[in-house]
Amino acid sequence: MIQLERVKKVFPNTAVPAVDELSFTVEQGNVCVFVGPSGCGKTTIIRMINRLVEPTSGSIFIDGENILQVDSDRLRRRIGYVIQQVGLLPHRTIEQNVGLVPRLLNWPEDRIARRVAELLEMVGLDPAEAAQKYPYQLSGGQMQRAGVARALAADPPIMLMDEPFGAVDPILRGRLQDEFLRLQREVQKTICFVTHDINEALKMGDYIVVLNAGKLVQKGTPMELLSSPANDFVKALIGDDRGVKLLDLTRAESLVADGSIKSPAVKDCSCFIDALQPVKMALEQMMKHDTDSVGIRRGDEVIGALTWAEIKKHIHRISGDEG
Amino acid sequence: METAAGVVKFILDNSGRIAEYAGNHFSLVLTVLAFSLVLWISVGLFISRHDRLAGGVIGLANVLFVIPSISLFGLFVTIPQLGLGRSSAALALILYAMMPLVRSVYRGVKSVDRWVIEAGRGMGMSEMQILFQIQIPMAWPVVFAGIRVAVVMITGMATVATFIGERNLGRLIHHGITRGNAEMIIAGAVVVALMALLLDYAMGLIERKVTSPGLRHGDRDLQ
Repeated sequence: MIQLERVKKVFPNTAVPAVDELSFTVEQGNVCVFVGPSGCGKTTIIRMINRLVEPTSGSIFIDGENILQVDSDRLRRRIGYVIQQVGLLPHRTIEQNVGLVPRLLNWPEDRIARRVAELLEMVGLDPAEAAQKYPYQLSGGQMQRAGVARALAADPPIMLMDEPFGAVDPILRGRLQDEFLRLQREVQKTICFVTHDINEALKMGDYIVVLNAGKLVQKGTPMELLSSPANDFVKALIGDDRGVKLLDLTRAESLVADGSIKSPAVKDCSCFIDALQPVKMALEQMMKHDTDSVGIRRGDEVIGALTWAEIKKHIHRISGDEG
Repeated sequence: METAAGVVKFILDNSGRIAEYAGNHFSLVLTVLAFSLVLWISVGLFISRHDRLAGGVIGLANVLFVIPSISLFGLFVTIPQLGLGRSSAALALILYAMMPLVRSVYRGVKSVDRWVIEAGRGMGMSEMQILFQIQIPMAWPVVFAGIRVAVVMITGMATVATFIGERNLGRLIHHGITRGNAEMIIAGAVVVALMALLLDYAMGLIERKVTSPGLRHGDRDLQ
């Protein structure tokens, strides 16, 4: 668990604080995404958590312990750190890069070797093929994976990730995000994730902290942000497609089980989606098959149907918009 | 052709003397190199961590470098503790080596990608670990470029030390000039050039040993 209490950072020779009296808590096992325009202080926040930047005032606690009372190098060895530029050591092999923190912690070599192989496998790199390569021999995506493996090496309970997928193309980014979410379900780290991309924030975050000019604008779950944005800044950040994004976060089954939507004649449905898929997929099917209703299936069983009119009603109800 | 044959004949006829001169030459160069590497690499590392000193130190190196060598050799001879011979010669050459060595070490360390250092620091490497495990190993290619320039330069410049009493290959060139003996001049120059090439090659071998293959991919075509 990470706690920030009235944390403030004013850089020398600047009038405006980069981070202004910020307080929040990231619970164990959660992904907390910091999102906002450049200069909003999001990177400074995570750099304060591993003491690459010292706060001007306020305190930061990790599992109740004030981080200023821990030696900064020792603190950092317990916190995974992933940056957009990756920063693999170009003169070291992938094996040596991934094994870096375990070596700093004086693990025995055989344990390091086992751990490195396990991690490379975990992030989707073939240990036999990748371990002895140098960073320049990897593609951008492979480097990012190696960077994540390196951060996970000593099994730190906390991970700080600063735009980790910012430098790769959109298709690869989507894939890395999916892999990361799958990995996170396995490893259950407490993660602080920085991005300027609201879509990435909505996809990755258990909680989202929206920042502007060093101040907290809104914090909440993706659903809370979408359904009740605190002000125009958050609305603008989310964009004009708030309703569609909401449908992307809403599972089809939740509307069916809701009770507020009565199933129409299911037999009219010419197409079906799985109950776990987002409602957006229902819209996709409607457009594709030129129909107004889509059946919802759980396994082989049809549990209901969604109609275009009902989806519209749902958006209006949740987001409180008129018309 | 006639001259070439004359040079070969001169070298064969005077092999004993040339071997003696070459030996003196080589030992002077190695002495200078050993002192220079220890001294100037240390200074280069030091100013890379104390940026405020960098301008002054590199400026000094540049000033020393542009002093005509013959005058610097001559000046040292006038200092009683140094006098004619090896001490003056070695000291002057060590000072000339300052510029290529200090500058390349400084530039090499400073040119290390800041994100690699950021990642190292973020993972909990101490400042010393960052210096010895990241900055120095990554600086080697640039540092070796400086070392190779210094070695070739020292070897050539050492010939001038003949004027302050060093019995080295410069003597062949010097005597060749005073006697108008072209074969002698060329013989001296050829042996000096061969020695410089040999040392440069040796440094290249060491560079390949020391530099990580992960940093060498760019110059594969040059090998």
